[in-house]
Amino acid sequence: MSTGTSAKAALVRGQTMADPIAMEVFSNRLLTITEEMGNTLIRSSFSTNIKERKDCSVGLFDRHGRLVAQASHIPLHLGSLRGSVKATLERFPAENMRPGMSFISNDPYLAGGTHTPDIALVTPMFADGELCFFTANIAHHSDVGGSVPGSISANARTVFEEGIRLPPLLIMEDGKVREDLLDLIVQNTREPEERSLDLRVQIATNEQGNAALRGLTAHMGLSAVEQAVEDILAYTARRLQMRIDALGNARGTFTCYLDDDGSGGDPVPITTTVWVENGRLVVDFAGTGPQAKGALNVSASALEATVFYSAKALLDPQLMPNEGMMQSIEIRAEKGIIVNAQFPAATGARSITCQKIARSIFGAFRSILPADRLMASGNDDLPTVVFSGRHARREGTYVYLETLGGGGPATGRTDGMNAVHVHVTNTSNLPVEALENEYPLMVDAYALVERSGGAGRQRGGLGLVRQVTSLQDGTIFSARSDGQKHAPTGVAGGCDGLPARLYLDYGLPGEKILPSKVTHLTLNHGENIRIETGGAGGLGDPTERPATAVQTDLDNGFIAPEDLSLYGRG
Amino acid sequence: MYRIGVDVGGTFTDFTLLNETDGEVKFHKVSSTPSDPSDAILIGIREMLEKFGVDSGRVNFIGHGTTVATNLVIERRGARAALITTRGFRDVLEIGRQTRPHLYDYQVQNPPVLVPRARRFEVSERMNRDGEVLRALDMAEVDAVIDKIIACGAVAVAVCFLHAYRNPAHEAAVRDRLHERAPGLYVTASSDLLPEFREYERLSTTVLNAYSGPRMQTYLDRLAANVHSLGSTVVPYTVHSNGGLMSIPTVRQFPVRTCLSGPAAGVVGAAVVAKEAGFDNVVTFDVGGTSTDVSVIVDGRPQFTSNRTVADYPVKTPMIDIHVIGAGGGSIAWMDDAAALKVGPQSAGAVPGPVAYGRGGTLPTVTDANVILHRLSPQALLDGKLKIEEAAAREVVTQKVASPLGLSVEDAAIGILRIANANMGRAIRSVSTERGHDVSKFALMAFGGAGPLHACDVAAECGIPTVIIPREPGTMCARGILLSDISLDFVRTCIMPATAQSWAAAQQNFEEMRREGAAWLDGENVASAMRRFVQLVEARYEGQNFEVAVPVPPDAAVSLGAFLADFAAAHRAGYGYDITDRQVEIVNCRIKAVGLVPKPHNDFRPEGVGTLAEARIGVRTVVFSTTSGRVTTPVYERGRLPPETDCAGPAIVEEMSSTTVIPPSAKFYVDAAGNIIITNIKASQ
Repeated sequence: MSTGTSAKAALVRGQTMADPIAMEVFSNRLLTITEEMGNTLIRSSFSTNIKERKDCSVGLFDRHGRLVAQASHIPLHLGSLRGSVKATLERFPAENMRPGMSFISNDPYLAGGTHTPDIALVTPMFADGELCFFTANIAHHSDVGGSVPGSISANARTVFEEGIRLPPLLIMEDGKVREDLLDLIVQNTREPEERSLDLRVQIATNEQGNAALRGLTAHMGLSAVEQAVEDILAYTARRLQMRIDALGNARGTFTCYLDDDGSGGDPVPITTTVWVENGRLVVDFAGTGPQAKGALNVSASALEATVFYSAKALLDPQLMPNEGMMQSIEIRAEKGIIVNAQFPAATGARSITCQKIARSIFGAFRSILPADRLMASGNDDLPTVVFSGRHARREGTYVYLETLGGGGPATGRTDGMNAVHVHVTNTSNLPVEALENEYPLMVDAYALVERSGGAGRQRGGLGLVRQVTSLQDGTIFSARSDGQKHAPTGVAGGCDGLPARLYLDYGLPGEKILPSKVTHLTLNHGENIRIETGGAGGLGDPTERPATAVQTDLDNGFIAPEDLSLYGRG
Repeated sequence: MYRIGVDVGGTFTDFTLLNETDGEVKFHKVSSTPSDPSDAILIGIREMLEKFGVDSGRVNFIGHGTTVATNLVIERRGARAALITTRGFRDVLEIGRQTRPHLYDYQVQNPPVLVPRARRFEVSERMNRDGEVLRALDMAEVDAVIDKIIACGAVAVAVCFLHAYRNPAHEAAVRDRLHERAPGLYVTASSDLLPEFREYERLSTTVLNAYSGPRMQTYLDRLAANVHSLGSTVVPYTVHSNGGLMSIPTVRQFPVRTCLSGPAAGVVGAAVVAKEAGFDNVVTFDVGGTSTDVSVIVDGRPQFTSNRTVADYPVKTPMIDIHVIGAGGGSIAWMDDAAALKVGPQSAGAVPGPVAYGRGGTLPTVTDANVILHRLSPQALLDGKLKIEEAAAREVVTQKVASPLGLSVEDAAIGILRIANANMGRAIRSVSTERGHDVSKFALMAFGGAGPLHACDVAAECGIPTVIIPREPGTMCARGILLSDISLDFVRTCIMPATAQSWAAAQQNFEEMRREGAAWLDGENVASAMRRFVQLVEARYEGQNFEVAVPVPPDAAVSLGAFLADFAAAHRAGYGYDITDRQVEIVNCRIKAVGLVPKPHNDFRPEGVGTLAEARIGVRTVVFSTTSGRVTTPVYERGRLPPETDCAGPAIVEEMSSTTVIPPSAKFYVDAAGNIIITNIKASQ
């Protein structure tokens, strides 16, 4: 797989803006539109996933399907709307589109999706009868059918177990929703009423974006708008090109491992090699393990999003997400490996693998970046735990899902942050008091894992521990996590962080360590689950850490007296 | 008798003097004194009383807005504090919501934890969600922790246990033991400050309160002494973040409630002034040197939130919903390495400030662009007190912006303003739509020193049709203080499905909270005829994790059915839909105890007003756009503009604290209350 053709770098470097001031003003106006669309989507949706975890994104595309602006709330969506727009345009050529149409899709293979719960809506925008733009949005629905509630199971064998598959479909025509089709879709999910509500909100979100774009086009004139679009893309491309040119001829390679492929078995290597070739940044995954039997597979769109996220974070965090930042990056990944899985591989749990892809890319850049921009590895696991059972105070069953943060990487200038999400996600926790009010569960501890951050001149961030006790018999527990077998590595003389751990009945007579993926474990009253997420690697020689910082770490219990020797003190 | 409103800002301290007998309002402004903000208050009041010939004995009220607590947090100058919490949870303060502050930049860090881990102590105790004791508090352990706290030199202690909002017994026991064993310690228990569920936000608020408490007390003591030294017996009030007034004893106990003090008063004042001018739906636009505050007024009422941060730390006490944008007159214009022009977020602040102020600034700012275009006076501001160096502004904009872009210095300055206005406009639209409002149905009320300079351009950028400029916009927050009432908010978390039985329990809650509120109003010496209670229930559909506020009038018996109907309506208004037959869950009961303060009509009595021509004090050649060239524009003195007279742009209107720019195509008039109302604002290109 490759994006774009090579040898465009010279062209990119030479691109200039017609009017930098108009470009800056215009980019604010576009961001106003994407922010308004994002606000509407989040405010009006029902799903917790969309409303509170903000697992959704919106984007604007030009008539050629080039991404012009995006508001993304999680990096895993960066650029992933492009796949949906491209697939839609392939199935419904632009010349056949008419005002009042809107298209729906989700499939990782038929529609450029990343996993089935992410449903995309693409709507063409017309002004004076002419196709000018597309608005698009994507949202993670809490269920799209399939073998398990939530539609994601680490050991799903094919995409057919992951709920309804939608190739690009015409969901709205002449401004009217095709109710029979919508009904077919929502009746294939576990909560048809909520799905219907949220899909209508997604359709309305694009409508609102189109209205705003029509206002902008009418106000500025189409040709001024088109010029400003070219300026924005040229500016972004040139800015990224400068960052790539600064890398010189360096080359870096790095391998990290998934504990297993979702259905047990051996660790799966993810190898990334990066170099600059003809002015383009090449990210090559040769050496990466084969696609998984379980659901840890990554589709083309999810791989692209992870590569774009990594490039932005490593090279220029302020870079605007648009087509301009994508044309100078070339991804090479042969078909059939875990980062470019082929039909009908399951992809539901792709985010764990995407975290490892990011770890691998960040690792490969270690030998390329200047010292102050280096980063160790963090808690790149995205552990997800799910408890379910009978509601204690009302009818029916509950499902409580939580993703956990861990150690943030030490960087060239800063210690790693303690207990945060890294890389492709950044979602909030559920407060202990909210959890205990809602579910028959009790939290015994929510704390930092002492001594889990790797030593270094800059210390790695600490992982966190959450221990939950079941208050009734028959609580079902599942976990999709990773990072037990391989520690987050330090860099430039920094030490590794502590790997992750998962326990059953911690501190009780039957205490035992669980593997990183657990399905349908039954907990009885008083039994507990304890998850300890990984710390992060440190950066630089620990003996160079200032004495005051070491003492503060000791006072705070981040390190113990027996760790002092690592820092050359003790 | 006279009433004084004071707003202490970072650069200036503003004053408003109201004559209760005839409603006349006067304004004054002095430089702030950051080392002890109460000094500027003393100096300013003294100057103002002298200037207007008022005896200090005739002042019967002083209210002030202060940034002391906020600055203690921003500058990390708060007390050495400790925390006592439930075993297993001392790191909640550090974990927070486990999110990182920037998605892509790992060198952007979460703010430092105000109580480091070494001073966070755990004791064995536990309650469940119903407030039942699962594990009794071990007082021997508590005593051992108190020994450690004394030993570590902490002067303030936050006490926060899980589910203490439901049963405060353990927190109260620890608080009382702290008072008994170490009476000098400043102690805040979460259940006294904010008995509301969600532990991290409650904990963070409690810690901020303890952290800012000791120094806030010192400040309040000096303030009271300074006011006393004026020969006044008045005890000053402080505006809290919810736009109400609190007495000194209440502020001593709850300093964290003053975090948005001045800006909140500005919004309260704006709501009153706008309503009197006939505008119920208003976006407030308060532009200062380093930041801009935006807030939405709906149906004449400020909007509230209990979900925001102060200096990136969550504070859960109810506040006026003000959104702060990092853009103001001091925002710096700069070229990035890929040849794009950016404005902000870096600011030259008050020091060194814009180049044109001649205080050592060396980088081009938004203010410098305004000077170059003669929107701001190229000679002097603040009634001549601040000299302007136009040539220096032109030179720096030429060098840093115009030459690299190949533009004239005027076009470069226009470019800086266009980008700054686009930034501000985007924030206004985002704030409004996030809360479900359509800005085209709102008027923009601009204040703060720089608001009126940008108001018409920003309104054009956002599609807002009308602009309101109140009198002396640079002192609006001080004026708002005189339009505020005494108030305090109470909350109680009681999570339960809305049934006939639980509805009765909620009423019971309200009754108890009204008693608490009445006791507080007793302490504030509020007469019974002047007391009001505002009640609301925060509720949600079962399964949701966010709440919708539903007003529940205290004086009428509201039935469960009526409440459920109101809830559905509020959910529709906020989120666009409601769900029939889905169980509603009550989460929080909130009550605001209000003591009404007499607010004489704000009478506008222009002096020396004649014709429009007589208000004209000069002419400037102003640049309005890249195609306008320099337009000969009349400059008017605000106080002499004739009311109810139709006028047309272009025009510049000057007054002591601000300058208003009215573009060529716009119309304007001064209304009966002295506000400038600007209409016919054309969308910008």
